[in-house]
Amino acid sequence: MSRRVDAWLRLVAWMVPGDVRREWLREWRAEFAWRQARAVRTGRTPGGQDVWYAAGALPHALWLRWDRWRFDMLWQDVKHAWRALRRRPGFTALTLVTLALGIGATATIFGAVYAVLLRPLPFPDADRLVQVMETSTRNPRGMAVSPPNFVDWRRDSRSIRGMAAIASSNYALGGDGRAAEQVSGAQVTGDFFDVLATGAQWGRVLAPEDAAGQGLDVVVLSHALWARRFGSDPATIGRRIVIDGTPREVVGVMPRGFRYPLESDIWLPLPFSEEELTTQRGAHYLDVIGRLAPEVAVEQARADLRAIGDRLAAEYPRWNADESADVEPLRDVLVGDARDSLMVLLGAVGLVLLIVCVNVAGLVLVRAAGRSRELAVRRAIGAGRGALVRSLLVESLILGAGGGILGVLLASWALAAAPTLAAVDVPLLDQTRLDGTVLLFTVGVSLAATVLFGTAPAWFATAGLDMSASMREEGGSTTADPRRQWWRGAVIVIETSLAVVLLVAAGLLARSFARLTQVDLGFATSDIQTFTITMPDGTYGQPAQRAALVDELLARIAGRPDVAHASAIFGMPLTDFSYGISTTALDGVRLADARQDELSVQVRVVTPDYFETMGIPLVRGRSLTAADRLGRPEVAILSEAAARRYFPGEDPLGHHVELGTRLGQGGAPVGGQIVGVVADVRDRGRASPPRPTLYVAHAQFPVGFVTVAIRSDGRPAAVVEPARQVLEALDRDVPMFRVRTMAQLASHAVAQPRASLVVIGVFATSALVLSALGLYGVLAFAVGQRTREIGIRRALGAADGSVVRIVTRHAAGLTAIGIAVGLGAALAISRVLRPQLHDVAPTDVVTYAGVALLVSMVSMVATLVPAWRAARIDPLMALRHD
Amino acid sequence: MRRLSISAASVLQAIADGRPYGFDIIDATGLPSGTVYPALSRLERDGYVRSSWEDTDSAHDAGRPPRRYYRVTASGRTALADAHARLQALLPARSRP
Repeated sequence: MSRRVDAWLRLVAWMVPGDVRREWLREWRAEFAWRQARAVRTGRTPGGQDVWYAAGALPHALWLRWDRWRFDMLWQDVKHAWRALRRRPGFTALTLVTLALGIGATATIFGAVYAVLLRPLPFPDADRLVQVMETSTRNPRGMAVSPPNFVDWRRDSRSIRGMAAIASSNYALGGDGRAAEQVSGAQVTGDFFDVLATGAQWGRVLAPEDAAGQGLDVVVLSHALWARRFGSDPATIGRRIVIDGTPREVVGVMPRGFRYPLESDIWLPLPFSEEELTTQRGAHYLDVIGRLAPEVAVEQARADLRAIGDRLAAEYPRWNADESADVEPLRDVLVGDARDSLMVLLGAVGLVLLIVCVNVAGLVLVRAAGRSRELAVRRAIGAGRGALVRSLLVESLILGAGGGILGVLLASWALAAAPTLAAVDVPLLDQTRLDGTVLLFTVGVSLAATVLFGTAPAWFATAGLDMSASMREEGGSTTADPRRQWWRGAVIVIETSLAVVLLVAAGLLARSFARLTQVDLGFATSDIQTFTITMPDGTYGQPAQRAALVDELLARIAGRPDVAHASAIFGMPLTDFSYGISTTALDGVRLADARQDELSVQVRVVTPDYFETMGIPLVRGRSLTAADRLGRPEVAILSEAAARRYFPGEDPLGHHVELGTRLGQGGAPVGGQIVGVVADVRDRGRASPPRPTLYVAHAQFPVGFVTVAIRSDGRPAAVVEPARQVLEALDRDVPMFRVRTMAQLASHAVAQPRASLVVIGVFATSALVLSALGLYGVLAFAVGQRTREIGIRRALGAADGSVVRIVTRHAAGLTAIGIAVGLGAALAISRVLRPQLHDVAPTDVVTYAGVALLVSMVSMVATLVPAWRAARIDPLMALRHD
Repeated sequence: MRRLSISAASVLQAIADGRPYGFDIIDATGLPSGTVYPALSRLERDGYVRSSWEDTDSAHDAGRPPRRYYRVTASGRTALADAHARLQALLPARSRP
C-alpha cells in the first residue's frame, strides 16, 4: 500500500465514529495490503486503480458518521430531551412563553413591514414602475401634474416606455334600480393598464380610443365592486350603469386584487380637450405613473425627465418657471412617511427579540448549571462534549419548534386583529398576511434564537466540566462558581437595560398621547352623527338645484323630534380636508400677488345651523341665516385666526373679502361682507394648530359635495336610517357615504399616535415581564444553589432579615446597573421619537424617573419570591441538601 | 423486512456467490467502492450479513494482514430471495427462466 493511500485513510478515519474507527482502518488497510500482495504474486502492479478504490473510503466514513448521528439524534437525543423538558415543566413553560412572545411579535411586525415595504406590488415587473411628478421651488418633494406637461413628457421621454395619467375622484354609482352608492375611482389615460401590464379578467380594459371622442361612455369595474354590487354576474359586461348622472357601458372587470390607485373601484377614460392642452398648463391635478424602459435605471429616468422639465420651464415661463420633474419608484411614493414609523416598530421588535434571546440564553445557562451534575455524570461515563452539546441542542430545537408554533399562532391572531386594533392610514397594511416568506422568516428567527442562544451557552456550560468539581458544586461546596455568576449577572443587566429603553419610549408616547387628548378641538365630538352626500353633476347642474336638495334634506331631518340641529358643511373637520385659497381683494381693492398668497385662508361652505350643531361659539357679530341666499349680497364669517390675519387689531365686521376661486358652475368669486367671527377649530386634529378659516353660506355658494352633521338628543347613530330614508325619498341617485359619528372621526384622528402607543406599549410591557421573569429565574436558581450556604448562616444564627438581604442586595445591584445603562441608552436614542411626540421632550425627566421607579418595583417583586424562599430555608434540611 | 436496493442486492448476491471480501465484491459487482462499503455497513446494521476477521496465521502466511470477510445471514437470504422475486416480476416474460 502506498504511503499516500495510507495517509488518506488515516485522514478519513477521523470522520468515522470513535468506537468503530480502529476496525474500519484495519479493514481498509488489509484490503489494500491484499491487493499489493496479489500484485506481487502475479507480477502486475496495481498502480492507478488504487485511487479508484481509496476514494470510496470517504463516502463510507461519512455514511457511518451519518448513520450514527441519525440514530443518536432522532432517537436517543429526542427521547432524552423530551424527558428532560418534562421533568422541569417550569423551565419549559417559561422558555416556551418567552420564545412565543418574541417570535410572535417579530413575525407580526415583520409581516407588516414585508407587506408595506418589501413585497412586490401586485403588478408584473412592479419594480420597473415609477411615479413622475412635477417639482417646484415651493414643492421640492413633488406635486400633481398638469395635462399639457404630461402630454409633453410622454412625447419626449426616452427613458420611460409607457406613461399614464390618473385623476382620482369619487363617483355616485347608480342606474341599476338600487340606491346610489359612492365609489372611489379614477379617470385614466388609455395606456394606464398597459403601463401596469394587467389585462381584464372579463371583457376588456380601456383603450386609447375610448378617450378619443366618441367612446367616452365606458367604464371598467374592480373585481370587488363587480362581486359586491353585481353579484359576480358575467352579464354585467355590456350593461349600462349610471355614474355621476351619466350612463356608461361596462366594458370590463379587472382581476381580483387589482387596485390602483389603491382604493379604486371604477376606471373611466380621461380625455384632454385641445383647449385644455393649450390653456391649462397651470392646472395641477394629475398623478402620472410610468414604466421604465428596459435597462434604464431610476436615476437615468430622473435625469431624462429633469432635462425635459427644464426645457418646458424655459419654453413656458408663465406657468413652468421654477418647475422641473422628478421620478421616484412607485412603491416609495405609495408608502411615503409610513416607512419611518415602521422602522421604529422594527427597531422596537428587534429589542424585544434581543431580550428574548438573552432570556433564553439566561434560562439555558441557569438550567445547564442546575444540571451540571447530570452532565458531569454523563461525561464521566463516556459521553463526549460534542454529544452533551448535541443533546442540549436537541432540547433547544424542541423548544424552538414549540415556541415557533406558538409564536406563529400568536402572530396570526395579532395580524387578524391588527387592522381593527389600529385604524391607521398605512398604505398596503391591509395586505399583511402570514405567507411563505413571513413563515420562512419566522422559522429562521426561531432557529437562530434557539440554536444560537440555546447552544452557545450550552457550549460554555459544558466547558471544563469535570465530575469531581460538579459533584462538589451541588453537594459539597457551599458557594456557587463565580464565573457563571458573572454570566448570569450580565444577562440580567442587559435585559433590564433593554426593557428600560422600551419603557422610556412607551412612557414618552403615553405622556404625549395624554397631552394630545387634553387639547380642545374647538368643537363638540359627542352626540353628533355625520354622513356625506354627493350630487351627480348631470342632475344637479344648477346651483339652485343643489341648494334646494340640501335645504329640503336638512329641513326634513331637523323636523324629527330627537334631532336638535341639522346642518351641512363642505369640508368637515377631521376628514383630512384642505381647501386653502389666496385672497385677491380686500374691500374691493385688488391685492399684489405676494400679498394674495400671504392672505390665503381655508374656505368652508356651511348651512346656517352649522355653528350651533358643532358647538362652535360665535365671538362677534351674527351667524349665517336663512336670509343669506342666492341673489342676496354675499356674506362671510371669519374664524378668530382669520380675523387676526386679515385685520390685526381691527374690527373685521363690515369689511369685504374676495378670494381667488369660484365654487359651483358660473358662481361668483368666493367671499363677501364679514358679518361675524367664530372661535377657532383644530380641524386637522389635536396636534395641529387652528388654521385661518373663512365660512360662506351654502345657499349662496351651493356645492354638490357636503357632509351633513346632525346633533341629536339620544344615540347619534339612531338618526342614520331615518336620514337615509329621507335622502332616498328625495333622490335615490344621491349616495350617502362615510357615515360616522363625530366621536369616531375624533378617535380616527388620533389613530396613528394611539397605534404607536399601543404597539410600543405592548412591546415595553413584554420586555418588562420578560426581564422580570429572567431576574426571577436567575435569583431562584441562585437561592437554590446557595441553599447550603444560607442554611449554615441560619444555623449560625442569621436572622430572616439578613438572609433576605443577601438575596435582595444581589438583585438590587444588578437592577441598578441595568437601569442606569438603559436610561443612558434611552437618552441617546429617544430623539428618533421626536416627530411622534406632542408637547413632550424626548428627555422628559418625569418619564425617565417613572420608568426607573417602575423597573425597580417590578424587580423587587421578582426578587420577593426567591428571597422569601431563602428566608424559609430550614438549616437542618439545608445541611442535608442533596 | 427492509427492501434491498439494487446495489445492496448485488453486494449481497456477490457474498452469497462466495466473494466475501470488500475488494472482491467491488471486482465482482463492478460497483464503486463508495457504493459497496456503505452498502456492506448497512447490510450488517440491518442483520443481513455478519462480518468476521480472517484467521491470522493463514493471512501471515500470505504475507499480509488478515482481511474482514462477510457472510450472509438467514434473514439476508430471505431478503435476497425477495429481491430476486421482485426483479423477476420486472423482467419481460420471455427472459424468465
